[in-house]
Amino acid sequence: MLGSVRLDTFIQLTLNGLTLGSVYALIALGYTLVYGILKLLNFAHGDVFMVGSFIGFGALQALGGSATPKVPVWLLLVLIVLAAMVGCALLGVAIERFAYRPLRNAPRIAPLISALGVSFFLAYSVQLMFGSEQRDYDAFSISAGALFFNGFDIGNVRIPLLRIIIIVSAFVLMIALWLMVTRTRIGKAMRATSHDREAAAMMGIDVDRVIVFAFVLGSALAGAAGVMFALRAPTSATIGFIAGLKGFTAAVIGGIGSIPGAMAGGLILGFAEAYTQGYISTRWSDLLVFSLLILFMLFRPQGLFGSPELKKV
Amino acid sequence: MDDRTDHPLEESVPAAGTTAGPQIGKDEWVARISERRTGRGGWLGKVDERARAVPWWAWLTLFVALAAMLPVGFESGYVRRIAFDTVVFMLLALGLNVVVGWGGLLDLGYVAFFGVGAYTYAVVSSEKFDLHVSALVSIPLALVVGGIVGLLVGLPSRRLVGDYLAIVTLFFFQIFLTVTNNGESIFGKDLTGGPNGIINVDPLNVFGRELPVSRDGIFNVAYLYVALALFIVVYVALRFANDSRTGRAWRSLREDPLAAELMGMPVQWLKLTAFAFGAAVAGLTGALVTGLNTSVFPQTFEFPLLITIYTMVILGGAGSQAGVVIGAIAISVVLEVLREPGDARYLFYAVAILSIFAALRISRRLAAVVGGTLVLGFVAHAVAESIDASWTAGAPNGGGRVAGWASDWVIVPADLAGWLGPVAYITLIVLILALTLLHGWYRLALLVPTLYLAAFVWENVMITKPEPTRFVILGAILVAVMIARPEGILGEKRVEIV
Amino acid sequence: MKRVISAALMTGAAAVLAATAVAQPAELTRTDAAEQQGVSCNSTLKIALVTPLTGGAGFLGNAQLSWAKYAVKTLQKNYGLKVRLITGDTPVEQGPAPAQALAQKYVADRSVVAVIGPATSGAVAATSRAYFQAGLAHISPSATRTSLTQGAAKEATPAFFRVVGGDYIQGPHDARFMVDKLKVTKVVIIDFQEPYSVGLADAAQAFLRSKNVTVQRESTSVRTTDFSSLVTRVPADANIVFFPTQQPEDAQTFAQQLLEQGKRAKVFGGDGANSPDKFKLAGSYVSNFAPDISSFAYNKALIAGWKRDNPRASLESFGPPTYGAVQVAMNAIQRACKAGNGRVKDRRDVVRNVKRIRVKNWILGGDFRFSTRTNDPLNARFYIFQIQSNGAYKLVG
Repeated sequence: MLGSVRLDTFIQLTLNGLTLGSVYALIALGYTLVYGILKLLNFAHGDVFMVGSFIGFGALQALGGSATPKVPVWLLLVLIVLAAMVGCALLGVAIERFAYRPLRNAPRIAPLISALGVSFFLAYSVQLMFGSEQRDYDAFSISAGALFFNGFDIGNVRIPLLRIIIIVSAFVLMIALWLMVTRTRIGKAMRATSHDREAAAMMGIDVDRVIVFAFVLGSALAGAAGVMFALRAPTSATIGFIAGLKGFTAAVIGGIGSIPGAMAGGLILGFAEAYTQGYISTRWSDLLVFSLLILFMLFRPQGLFGSPELKKV
Repeated sequence: MDDRTDHPLEESVPAAGTTAGPQIGKDEWVARISERRTGRGGWLGKVDERARAVPWWAWLTLFVALAAMLPVGFESGYVRRIAFDTVVFMLLALGLNVVVGWGGLLDLGYVAFFGVGAYTYAVVSSEKFDLHVSALVSIPLALVVGGIVGLLVGLPSRRLVGDYLAIVTLFFFQIFLTVTNNGESIFGKDLTGGPNGIINVDPLNVFGRELPVSRDGIFNVAYLYVALALFIVVYVALRFANDSRTGRAWRSLREDPLAAELMGMPVQWLKLTAFAFGAAVAGLTGALVTGLNTSVFPQTFEFPLLITIYTMVILGGAGSQAGVVIGAIAISVVLEVLREPGDARYLFYAVAILSIFAALRISRRLAAVVGGTLVLGFVAHAVAESIDASWTAGAPNGGGRVAGWASDWVIVPADLAGWLGPVAYITLIVLILALTLLHGWYRLALLVPTLYLAAFVWENVMITKPEPTRFVILGAILVAVMIARPEGILGEKRVEIV
Repeated sequence: MKRVISAALMTGAAAVLAATAVAQPAELTRTDAAEQQGVSCNSTLKIALVTPLTGGAGFLGNAQLSWAKYAVKTLQKNYGLKVRLITGDTPVEQGPAPAQALAQKYVADRSVVAVIGPATSGAVAATSRAYFQAGLAHISPSATRTSLTQGAAKEATPAFFRVVGGDYIQGPHDARFMVDKLKVTKVVIIDFQEPYSVGLADAAQAFLRSKNVTVQRESTSVRTTDFSSLVTRVPADANIVFFPTQQPEDAQTFAQQLLEQGKRAKVFGGDGANSPDKFKLAGSYVSNFAPDISSFAYNKALIAGWKRDNPRASLESFGPPTYGAVQVAMNAIQRACKAGNGRVKDRRDVVRNVKRIRVKNWILGGDFRFSTRTNDPLNARFYIFQIQSNGAYKLVG
């Protein structure tokens, strides 16, 4: 077929973008949830993502390792994702309680600096405890590569099972979050608190509980993202910084404070990265992505889905 | 006569000696009044008052005189080199203080300006493009270029507040890193040397005379003097800037941007000048460092360096020049000490003992805690040794005089099981966090095992890995200072008007 | 008025300081009589190991440390010396600054008679001059950047030595193998925007292009771990992807992702990818500056001893050259001691003697000596391995 190489490349890059984007979207959601309520950029979020990947690794080893798991493959994957989600949720609660809550009424710069400190502390604590080597889930060895060689084909491009699993799970989680935020009482409370914290408190909403809940959700998603990322590429103690940057970029592009915005932003960023790397250059792709963000921040700071912020005097 | 009962304005003023932290809703004048009235008691308070009465330039002269005499006391090129590095950090901290402390802007790209200055000097005073400009020109040039780049970065960001500004500056930093790391092939031209950097850069030369960077390989102390000279100039210049109209405008901008704007201040312009000043200082410092190293590499300008400078500024007190200098010295010394396990051990015990003394003062509680910890240690050590001799047979890392006593008190296993290190570390963190939640006797009781566990973790896990340890400590300092004493050592308490 | 006075005071002080700085006398260092005499070989001499023990490249430093320790422990008797190994950590995240501080430290310490390292080429470039001026020999087991010893503007000085071949040997050697044995027509070369990979990539690229092989050059950040889009850029008809990484896990991931996307190209890694535990995808190639050291019978006892001291460590490629470097250093120290009648009169004596060293039964195979023209090994060669289906590395070139 004429031009089929180009079509194949396009399909492959789109697939790459979708995989990347799902992970970015999950991270971005965590940023957005917290920012919406606290107006705080949780710099430590990227490192929570990293910790999630490590917890998943630990769980994987505890369950026998990727080549010789003690449980069926599907259960293995579910368990390690759950372990990461629970572990990261706890971590997120601890961070909020000890690093951010005391600074609730402090000048805005204070929790930001505290967040920087936590981010650094987490990343290098992990490096202190576990060393700086990369940790490879080696998903290739699961069932002798079944996750990579099974799947379905579009044209000449194979869509491996692992990618399908990652993309689908990410979307399931995102939809679950969306439902939780729009359909449940606590979700409503979250939305109210993000709209106007004082008014929500006056209406009887327990703001502290809502904030903790936001951190639980955001961190759990970051943990899941960590496992999904690490299934395809090795993780190490210092990936949190860049992952956090990218997740934050996604949240801003989509409109920080908006949940559909974070999802859209994540996917857009994933595609932008995949296409620039694939078609233009891998050397300058980071530069292009950062410039994209800066353009957004200058000309449309509210992102795609956000609304312009009005300051009450 | 109790002032507090006579002045209804200060009803909610906390008792003397306690820190209430930033208080929303009170205006700054009131906050200052209560601070003055409830100033430090005891001998520390008197020292503090006397110290404040001495004019700033007297302190500066004294400090520089002492620093200049350092080479007389220490002939080792190593110590002198460390002193130079410390002065460099002091300069960087002064620059960041302008942006963060006086402008109230969170600039996460500060290290990029440092790099811009370094590369500017390297480009004009090296063999790369065969320009050999005198340092009298290239250092001010680096300062100016740094300032201009700061202005350019600040320009698009002037409309952004707090968090957004932080992110844009962070991205600028990433762009700087990408450009310098890939600079060997920008449109086919080699501008920055890429990952290999630029080498064979000229040392500082003035009036045609070159200042050699080392004699027989040993650091030339002249560079320390040059650094001190630059430090004086920068300190004084910034001090004057702060005492001028611009400085006052910065202060009002920091405290209440909205009111400042309403009063007709050119808020955007002020932000830009704060940015530019800070960036200029960083650029200047970059040139100085490059002159000594006669080379510049992009790997020097990484995020951990930024966090280090931030910790210095925050610890010392953002907004106070003397404070950030003290912060810079303190952190710099701590980081150097951490390099050697033997010295690092001293540091831990010194800090632990000093902080317990400071927290508990001379009292029965202090005796109880110290005694309890020592006893617990010896008991645990004896128990561990009796269960299995290899549990305490390990050689304490790094040696040093305290090592012998330390290994009799702390359990240092011959072969640390892989899981024990992380478990102990995490337990220690949990215990420390729990300590913040407890009060009274419970807190003291928990303090004892926590201290012992801290010694254990320090000896077995942290001492041997200086690199992650240093950043763990820096991160912890940032968080702890922000929560416990956000104004740092010498800073002023800030109140944000909402 | 007060302001004017203080400003004047300050400028005056600054001027005085600056003047003192410029007007330094020529001889600054006071060397007392004892120092003039050098150091006695009956006292404990020190050899410093400068390598990244922590941080991102910590695995390299720790491997080097284990072999350096072993070398110092076992070779002291052979050479009749009392030697203590001291270590300096140069984490890569901190750039050249730690290396520079350490250089100052070792230069000032007269009992340090040789330095093993610096391990990274960047640290060598930053500190070689200081070592040279102090006359301190620095022998690196891993700094392979070509421009250190080759070219018009050498970054290293005559006091710098290395015991493994530079990138200017490895790159073309690998490329020649690709052309001669693998008959490549199209090669993708990737660098990671840091000195090691860029040097190797450039060297290989130059050779391949001179043989009219189509080269597609790619570049990505060293922090990348997911190479999906990079893999997509690999053309379907490329034979080899030259992947000079220092992290074997990345080579493994890349090879897996090539398979996942149905590309035919095989991964060709440099010495940095050499790690049978981590890089084990069958069909890939790895080059290394030594064959498997356990293939030499005379190394058996040595390896067994090292394994006893390091029960949990695995044999990899960065460690053994460090043993060789220590061996060279101690050999040179011994000669300097002989020449100085039981004293190392001047550290420069050690430097002079390093060049003359010959080692039989070199740990990396064959005999070792330095080239006469440069301080690089004479006739350094590289060895190419192909990974078998059981993960073993088979020597193929």
